[in-house]
This record gives sequence, structure tokens and C-alpha cells, in this order.
Amino acid sequence: MGAALEGIRVIDLTVWFQGPVAAQHLADFGAEVIHVERPKGGDQGRGVRSIKALPVGDWNQYFLVINRNKKSLAVDLKQSKGREILYRLAAQSDVFLSNLAAENLAAWGLTYDELRAVNPRLIYAITSGYGRRATTTKPAFDMTVQALTGLMSRLGEPGEPPIYLGMGSGDAYGGLLAALGILIALQQRRSTGKGQIVDASLYGAQLLLAAPTLQAYLATGDERYSRQRSRRKPDNPLWNAYAAQDRWLFVCVPNEERSFARLRRALGDPPLARDARFESAQKRREHASALVDALDAVFRARTADDWTTRLRAEGLAASPIGTLRDLAEDPQAWANEYLLETYCEEVKRQVNIRGLPIGLSKTPGRVESLGPELGQDTELLLADLLGYSWDEIDELKTGKVIP
Amino acid sequence: MSRALEGIVVLDLTQSFWGSLGVALLGDFGARVLRVEDAAARGESSPDGTAGSASWNWEQELANRNKKSLAVNDRRPEGREILEGLVRQADVVAIDRPLVEVAERRWDYETLAVLRPDLIYARGTGFGPKGPDCDLPAIDELAAARTGLMPILPQPGLPPVYPGHGSMYTAVMLALGVLAALHHRAESGEGQIVDVSLLGGNMYGASLDLQAYLAIGGERLLAPVSRLDMGNPMSGTMYPAADGKWVTLTMPDTDRWWPGFAPLVGIDPQDARFDSHEKRCEVNRLELMQVLERAFGEHPAAHWRAAFDRNQLSADVIEEYSFPANDESVYRNRYLLDLDHASLGRVKMLGFPVFLSDGTPGLDRLAPCVGQHTGEVLHDWLGIDEDRIAELRVQGVVA
Repeated sequence: MGAALEGIRVIDLTVWFQGPVAAQHLADFGAEVIHVERPKGGDQGRGVRSIKALPVGDWNQYFLVINRNKKSLAVDLKQSKGREILYRLAAQSDVFLSNLAAENLAAWGLTYDELRAVNPRLIYAITSGYGRRATTTKPAFDMTVQALTGLMSRLGEPGEPPIYLGMGSGDAYGGLLAALGILIALQQRRSTGKGQIVDASLYGAQLLLAAPTLQAYLATGDERYSRQRSRRKPDNPLWNAYAAQDRWLFVCVPNEERSFARLRRALGDPPLARDARFESAQKRREHASALVDALDAVFRARTADDWTTRLRAEGLAASPIGTLRDLAEDPQAWANEYLLETYCEEVKRQVNIRGLPIGLSKTPGRVESLGPELGQDTELLLADLLGYSWDEIDELKTGKVIP
Repeated sequence: MSRALEGIVVLDLTQSFWGSLGVALLGDFGARVLRVEDAAARGESSPDGTAGSASWNWEQELANRNKKSLAVNDRRPEGREILEGLVRQADVVAIDRPLVEVAERRWDYETLAVLRPDLIYARGTGFGPKGPDCDLPAIDELAAARTGLMPILPQPGLPPVYPGHGSMYTAVMLALGVLAALHHRAESGEGQIVDVSLLGGNMYGASLDLQAYLAIGGERLLAPVSRLDMGNPMSGTMYPAADGKWVTLTMPDTDRWWPGFAPLVGIDPQDARFDSHEKRCEVNRLELMQVLERAFGEHPAAHWRAAFDRNQLSADVIEEYSFPANDESVYRNRYLLDLDHASLGRVKMLGFPVFLSDGTPGLDRLAPCVGQHTGEVLHDWLGIDEDRIAELRVQGVVA
């Protein structure tokens, strides 16, 4: 089977997560992605040693999974001969992608105008922090930008600290949107023959990530959508998290009579079923906290799996709230290749990795290799693709332009 | 100026907010999107119609902007014929209904691809098309509950947190998958199925936590970690300021930031307790967090923002939605739009998250009413004349 993006070449001058993961989507679909790194140390993502105070493991999963299916070209862009390599590469590429600071790109002669002069068909994609028309230029990371959007302030119980959506949650989204922007620009190039600038910022991405509640807030100005709400004060107490005997479960039952009747049956007709405070949808809404308390008492009696089975038997939706361990063993995730096993050269064994979130039936994505060693493809790319002679390559090595 | 996706025709059979929003991303960039809605169900409220108000259904406005709408009852043979005529003209069909319903209604890829062999069929499900749970309903809470993050988002001892954004990954993945498939089709002439799901989207959003667990295992990634027990006191951390607002720091490579940061929080950069990355993040990690907790509590958030800005530090104040809603830069970047709505006056809505210098996204039209363009589409796309359209309306085939 072929690959969807076969024939597309991407210069991936990115570090950490948001930029690299944008290119990872393209690489998974078969684009030739060349991760361009500084010769000393490479992408900072290679340096991650611990996560949440845990050693990162015996293989550097942080870098290797984000940069899977890629080549690595190590080059010193502070030297003019290094920049020459990048210009030659740009002349033969479809996409240039970077999440480095604009000042760095300008200092290295890598502005859009400079690269466009080399290749007018090049898509020039930037993943910035705050967007092209922002006034601030300060450094941006996922969480500092997520903080501005308002996403964090609305989560958790009232009075508790704000909640971060998870490591790299906004970077992951910025990367997805950058990949989308790049493919849209490639589509447009079919008719115009020209490249263009794409900018997918962390701020723009995370505002869309907030859409379900942010749009409600924008429309109404209602702080219910922007502030923390207790799970004891839901709009619909039947659509809520409950603690079962062993762990939590999430129950998704619409607040209307037929569903409530089924719920009562699934719960074994507990006393709350005859409580006048809960006899209509309107009353259940009015007495939401009391109903949450009553349901808390009921759900405590059985395990989350048991309840889930009983609710589903009545045609109602519910799920135990699992841990990452449950997910790692979830047959559904494996069946759809959201989890994959692949060979890791670094430790010479099969390892489990996050897989392919988008399925394509005829040109499925794939993981052919984990991330490259720093600079592993430098010489071959210079010789085969860019037409450098071996003497020139030796000279570049002597001058420490390449390792 | 041409639009980036000009000429791409999309039939939108989605019903969920996230499914429709994924398709809207294509419309924003110039694809011609036609919503195909059920003429028989017209007038019924949507099953999950919790949002929206009598004055403005903001979910619909966002998810169906730049689209036209046709209402047809395709259970009737005449209606089915109309649907099939539209499929023949479509590059993309997008659908997010349960697989069982899709099969029953003959909306499946195999049936539709007979009409249009190079069709791209974008399918959104709750849990993916394969596996034992492929028929579970597409409810984001159910997918989030299986993704492993809900128990670890809050502080220790508190209830799990449903974050509510997981389906937004899926929405963009739908558009991205369609674009990848369009690329392949342009090169090969071949159409295919694009599959995205709420489980896949939620899992992708949890990438780093998930991958860390897959590689490291153990117990620490399964339960909440106290905010005063983070791995790096200067990264991924939050501390309360004097006014009850919170500040957050992301300065992972602490060697780079320490000389500029330490004096702001009253620490001598040479302080022997914290004078190396190892001491800050390992040996004296917990002590540094306590010192920072006290230091940030001495001044209000505005003081800290000014200090962070002045020193170009990667740190900020944790805001509420009122902040972006009033942030001029988000309107300049068109991440939010402040627009003059024909019937509501000035309203704010989400704009366009990605900038393209040539293929600029735009708001060409607000969300249509159900069936608003039925007549126009039957006439222009299928060449059906006015009399016949009137007949079909009377028969309840279209609305």
C-alpha cells in the first residue's frame, strides 16, 4: 500500500513537542521529514531525562516517539556554509516548518522572503506562541499559554487550584493545527503553484480547544462557563461522575422521564426513586445537590464495572473512569491502532507507543522507525539529495558545519 | 484571490458539535459544504440540545458556519435519489452517526462509493470502527473516562475531572484526515475512508502522559501528583499570588532561566541550595517549591505578570475566559471574531486558529436554518425544476 503524503519533503527545524509533532503527523502519512538539529545536543527534546520526577525510562521515549519516521540532519546554522545546506534543501522541499523564535530565523537568513527566493513553491510554516499579530514576543510554552485562554480556571472543585489539561495538551493541538494548515496550503498550491506562510499559534489553537465552553461564555458572558463548578452542583445530576465501591464511573443519562425510569431499574429501584424532590426533570434540576448525594450513596454499593454493566443493560451510557494502566491494556485502543508495538533500536526490544489517531483505509499511516540518532542522515542527504561531493562533505566536517 | 479549498465539495451528514465543527474547518478555507439534514425530523429539537438559547444557538452558529443546508427525507425513494445525486457530485462525505444506523440507512462507504468511486468518506465514531466497543455511543465523557487522565488531573484526594475538550482534537483530526486523503486522491485518483474517534482524539490529547506511562509504568502516573511535588519546581508548576489568582511557570531548562528568575522571587542566584539544575530539580526540589510558594504569595498577580514580561520569562498568570474575550490581540489574529450579526447585533464568536497568508480563512455566511438552501441546491446541483421541487415539498420528500 502507498502512503498518503508520499513525495512530500518537509524541513522540520523544530524543538520540543508542538513543532515536532506537527511534522510527525506528516511523517506518519509518508512524507519525507528531515528533522534539522544543531550538531551539539540536537533538539532539546533529546535532553529530557525525567517526567514528573520519574526517570524517563531506559529509552528516550519523549524524543523518539514524537520524531518517529523522520531523518535527522545536523547542521550549524550559525555558519554561512550551514545556511547554504539549508537553502539547497529548501530548493528541493515542499514544506519548511519551524517553531524557533523569529529572531533566530531572521539571524540565520531563514525568513519567508529569503526561502521564497530559493523556492517559490515552498510552504513556510511557523508554530508561534501568540500569533503573527500579537504584541507580545515573550517565550511561550504550552502551559503558560493555556493559562491565558481561561481553560484551566474553569476546572476542578471551587476553591481548588486551577487544572492543567495534561502534559503537552495544547502543544499537541497546536501541532495538529499546524499540520492541517500545511496540508491546506499544499492543496491550494495545486491551483496557484505557489507556497505561502502558515502560522498555527499555541494561543489560537488553545482557544479552539476551549470551544465548547468558551463559545458559550462569549455568547452569554455567563460565569457558569468560565468558573469552577462543583460536581455536587451539575445542571443534570444524572450526567456526572460517581464514586463506586472500587473506583469512579461516569454516568451519562439524559434528564428526561424515560431515561430516569431506566436508571431507577438499573439501580435496583432505590428509595430516591420515590422521593418527591426527584419526580420530574425540573425538580431533579432544582434539587441537583440532594440528588447527587442520594446517588453517591447508591453507587457506593457496587463496583464501577458492575454498575456499567447494569446501566448498559438498560440502554444507558456509562463507563468506569480508568487510569493510564487501564488504557494501556484497553483492547479497543489496540484494535484501532491507537496503541502500537514497535522495535526500539536504543534498547533492542519491542516497545509500546501511542499509535495512529487518524485512520486511512487505503493509505494507512505507519510507524517504520522511532526517532533518528542525531545527524544520522546528514552525509547521505548531502551527497545524494543535495549534490555535495565527498571532498566538500569532508570540508564541512572539518569546519564543524556538520558533525 | 482564490480560496485554499475552492472546488472541494463536502456533504455534511454530521450531527455532533465536534463532527460538524471538523467539517466547518474545511468550509472556513473555502470548501463548498452542504449540510444534508433530515426533512422528517425537522422541527424536533436536537437530542443533546443542551446549549443554545431562544435568541442564539451559538453551537450551531460556530459548527455550521459557511455551510448551506438541504433537508431531505431519504427513507423515501425520491429522497434517496436526491441524496445519491448529491453524493455523485461530492468529493467528501462526512458522517458521525452510529455504525448500526449508517448500515441501516445505507450511508456506508461501500454503498456510496459505488456512486462516486473516488469518494473520501470521513467517519467519526466514539471508539473507532473496530474492536469490541465500536458501537458504544459517541459521548466525549465516555471517551475521556477511558483515557486515563481524569483521575490524575485534580490534586490528590479530589474527584476525577472531566476536562471537556477531548472532542476538539477529534474535530481537527477529521479535517486533517480529509486533507491527507485529498492529497492522495489528487496523486492517484483513489478515494478512501478516513476514520477518527473520540477515543483516538482524547488519547492524542493525552500523548505525553500516555507515552510516559507506556515507557515507565509504575504507580506514580496513575494517581494525582500534588502541585508541590512536581518534578521541576520551575516547570509545569503553579503557585498562588497574594490576590488569589495563580501564576504558572514553564522553564524546563532551569540553567537558562535561573539567573533572571531567582532575584525576582528573592533568591540569590548563587544560593548554594539551588545553584545547579540538579539541586533545583532533584536534591532540593521540594524545598525550592516551598520557597516559591511563599515568594509568590507576597505580591498580586499583576505584579508577577509585569515582572515576567520585563524579564522575558516563560511564566504567566492563570486567567479566566474574560481575558481572551477582552484581549485585543486575539481579534487582531482573528482567533476570536467580533461581528455584526444580522439579527443579534454585536456578538463574539470563535474565529480561525490557523493563519494562511494566501489562503485566508473567512466567514462567508452564518449558519443556515435547516433546509434554507433546499430549493437552490436541488435546482443548481441537480437541475430539478421549480414545479418538481414544489411537488417534492408537498410530498414531504424535502423541506
